[in-house]
Amino acid sequence: MSWTRRFANLLRSNRHARDIERELAFHVSERADDLVAAGMSREMAELEARRRFGNFGAQKEQTRDADILTWLDSMIDDTRYAIRMLRNSPAFTLVVIFSLALGIGANTAIFTLINAVMLRSLPVAHPEELVQLTMPGGQQSFTNPVWEQIRDNQKIFNGAFAYSSIRFNLVTSGEVRYALGNFVSGDYFRTLGLQPTVGRLLSVADDKRGCPSIAVLSNAYWRSAYGAAPDVLGKTILLNAHPFEIVGVAQAGFAGLEVGRGTQVFVPLCTEPVFRGAISFLDHRSAWWLSLMARRSPEVTATQLQNALNALAGQAFAATVPPNLRQDQERNYLKNTLAAEPAAHGVSDLRRKYRSALVALMVIVGLVLLIACANVANLLLARAAVRRREMAIRVALGAARGRVIRQLLTESVLLSTVGALLGLAVARWSSSLLVAFLSPVGRPIFLDLRLDSTVLWFSVCIAVLTGLAFGVAPAWRSARVAPNVALKANARGIVEGQGRLTAGKTLVVAQLAISLTLIIGAGLLLGTLRRITTVDAGFDPADVLLVSLDKPRSAKSTAQQLAEKSAVLERMRTMPGVTSASLSQLTPLGNSSWNEEMLIDGFTPKSEEDGLAYFNEVSGDYFRTMGTQLIAGRDFEANDRVGTLAVAIVNETAARRFYGAQNVVGKTFRYRAGKGTSNPFQIVGVVKDAKYQSLREKTLPTIFVPLTQSAELGSDIYLEARIPSGAAAAIPSVRAVIESVDPKFQTSYIPFATQVANSLTAERLLASLSAFFGALALLLATMGLYGVMAYSVARRRNEIGIRMALGAGQRRVARMVVGEVTTLIVVGFAFGVALSLVSTRLISTFLFGLKPTDVPTFAGSMALLASVALLAAYVPARRAARVDPMEALREE
Amino acid sequence: MAKTKNDILQGTLGLLVLKTLATRGTLHGYAITSHIQQVSADMLRVEEGSLYPALHRMEQEAWVRAEWGTTEKNRQARFYTLTALGKKQLATEEESWARLTEGVRRVLRYA
Repeated sequence: MSWTRRFANLLRSNRHARDIERELAFHVSERADDLVAAGMSREMAELEARRRFGNFGAQKEQTRDADILTWLDSMIDDTRYAIRMLRNSPAFTLVVIFSLALGIGANTAIFTLINAVMLRSLPVAHPEELVQLTMPGGQQSFTNPVWEQIRDNQKIFNGAFAYSSIRFNLVTSGEVRYALGNFVSGDYFRTLGLQPTVGRLLSVADDKRGCPSIAVLSNAYWRSAYGAAPDVLGKTILLNAHPFEIVGVAQAGFAGLEVGRGTQVFVPLCTEPVFRGAISFLDHRSAWWLSLMARRSPEVTATQLQNALNALAGQAFAATVPPNLRQDQERNYLKNTLAAEPAAHGVSDLRRKYRSALVALMVIVGLVLLIACANVANLLLARAAVRRREMAIRVALGAARGRVIRQLLTESVLLSTVGALLGLAVARWSSSLLVAFLSPVGRPIFLDLRLDSTVLWFSVCIAVLTGLAFGVAPAWRSARVAPNVALKANARGIVEGQGRLTAGKTLVVAQLAISLTLIIGAGLLLGTLRRITTVDAGFDPADVLLVSLDKPRSAKSTAQQLAEKSAVLERMRTMPGVTSASLSQLTPLGNSSWNEEMLIDGFTPKSEEDGLAYFNEVSGDYFRTMGTQLIAGRDFEANDRVGTLAVAIVNETAARRFYGAQNVVGKTFRYRAGKGTSNPFQIVGVVKDAKYQSLREKTLPTIFVPLTQSAELGSDIYLEARIPSGAAAAIPSVRAVIESVDPKFQTSYIPFATQVANSLTAERLLASLSAFFGALALLLATMGLYGVMAYSVARRRNEIGIRMALGAGQRRVARMVVGEVTTLIVVGFAFGVALSLVSTRLISTFLFGLKPTDVPTFAGSMALLASVALLAAYVPARRAARVDPMEALREE
Repeated sequence: MAKTKNDILQGTLGLLVLKTLATRGTLHGYAITSHIQQVSADMLRVEEGSLYPALHRMEQEAWVRAEWGTTEKNRQARFYTLTALGKKQLATEEESWARLTEGVRRVLRYA
């Protein structure tokens, strides 16, 4: 109780002080009155009363102290004083706060991302109980027959469910508009422990064969697309042109189990045949499309769990052996086992792709913050030197050293707190920017970047640690000052000076070392980006537009479908501005692939990988449109139809790998199809190597077959058009052309150059950010160096004056300064190179075409840093040379 | 630092104040001082101001209660009253004082 009263007294500080004054003054006047009554004069009485009372001021203070929380009171005092001091030097304060905001903000931003992508648990009930089922080799995909076996026979879990991702087109024709969807099994929502916001969620009763088409929306999607209207229940949503009835909205904050992918629509697993019709996956024993998760009961031990899973696996796989397997493949299938991995953080493609990049970024910004702190520490040291007299007077007047240190630390922590608050704003803004940067066009990444307690704690800790880091050294030094030395009129003791500058110089050396590491890192990452983008990809993406054409629910035969699409192709070829156009089943770097096991006389694969070739079905003119050179033989022509000889075009790598020769025109091959082999193909042409899945890959052996000879055409296909006036600008006209041929096509457009750029997002991110931070580090280190050298010269004016009076010329003095700087640079570089050799090894997986110890990068970075540093030393050196010995000595 | 006379008195100041309030009832600070001086026949002279930090500390400990009031001369003063807790504290301190003085007496008696 007295605690709260003490606190209250602090709040009403003025009134409290007045009360005490009144109480004590009353005592003194009573005493005076008594003395007057005893015969003294009024003035003598008052003096005597005062004398008897003792030290009025001191007693007042002690009385006040008894009534308040003294520690809080001193803290408030310290803070007020700190604010006043900082307001008195606005330039200093602003520079410090700005550099801290940047440093702390950058750290918090990256940490926010790390938190959202890697650390945060799923917003479901008891996420730590969730597990994901996997097969040997880390395989996470299952077939529906296996899932149904597991679903019906498992007893060990408190609930199990399956889900799969899909993109739904919300419009029936024209340019596509996608909603991200999940097929989910009946027990999905119940196992996750979620509640509906509106209506109801899917249940086991909704997941039986032949079920009605119903859907549940995610909360975020309900807000953005339906304005959070409560009457959304019963409305119909068109998913790939199939009507689904909306029965509910999921709870807020839940957007599926894949971090980074915000699912918008949930539909029952049993509705899959609605989309795929006759080729439904529900009974397909070789379609691996489902992820399985379950909730484990806390009482079940790991051994119990594994035993149950082993039994489950044995039964499930035995009952679902796919047809058409060879004997050895069947044996392998039956040997499959199940394992359960913790899945509290969900699954994430995003995490897998960017985990190491994010960690690397965290290290980078951590280093930048260190450099910023070193700078601020130097600034504070310089300031402390200026305030030496003030500190000396305080100590002389009786302040405990601890109190002085506390006062200075309050300033530091105040600076870092304000910096951190600004940094939070910087973090919020820049993490959204980062996420936008990472999102490939048209597929925004969905991350919850809210400031939760983890991030807040992180910022607070960083702020306090930063404040202490750069504040402790100057505070310690200031308090150590001996009052009599500092209070002398000419407070320029040489002994003092040397000591202080060593600290400053050590900091500068550290800054130079860390900056060098960051600059080298940036150099390596920029070099990687440059090498990747200039690699000979085998095609020329500039001015090429990729169009995805889809006509779902088309009951037409293959020949008719081909005719439709060829009609579009012919119209495209006649469109003004289009120099060439073609069709293909896949596009390079397009996240799809198709491979087959090659069967060629005279060729024995060294491994299973070695015998694979990657395929693509293309029309004539594909190579001309893509800019891939034909080296031998011919392109596909109109005569290559169904019924004529099956032909193919291979790339150089395929020719070399399977035939060992360059010119393979005329040779034949087959590939494995099911239990038998395909028809024989004859090679009619050879093209230059081109990248298939990623720019980093070692070129894969690729084989092209004609679309016109295709046995079975999917409903979707890609059209490529080379438009020299610009791919993106031509989209509206291309769209018009396609719609004029057949408005029922569903289309989506992307310039080929953008598709290539999307595949390089991680590299671009790292390169640009590391370059930015490298430049920032360079700037900060140079500022630090300049500050220390300028200060050093200013303090040594006497010494320089003496030297010049004794005969040293201007050049000699300048050389002295430059010599000091050079020493700092050399020592800094020594540490920097050592640090770099260790740390660049950590990013070696990112690098492309560069070794982590790439000598030109190291040399270039050192040259850059050295020249900038020497430039920074130019001004102090000139100032030193310009010292007039008479003036300097006169200031004694 | 050697204990001066004042320090020893500071230590017992609480005891004296509690006893004063117990015998004389509600008093203001000056009255307490005067009482102690009178009753001790001026043998105890203490820096008068040092009473107040002690009084406020005792108030925080809830041994005394304080209220603003008016004196006969129509002046504003703060009046202190002993609480039940204070009475208990008085008993405790009287006992320790008795033990202390008895102990000192015995040691000094030992010739």
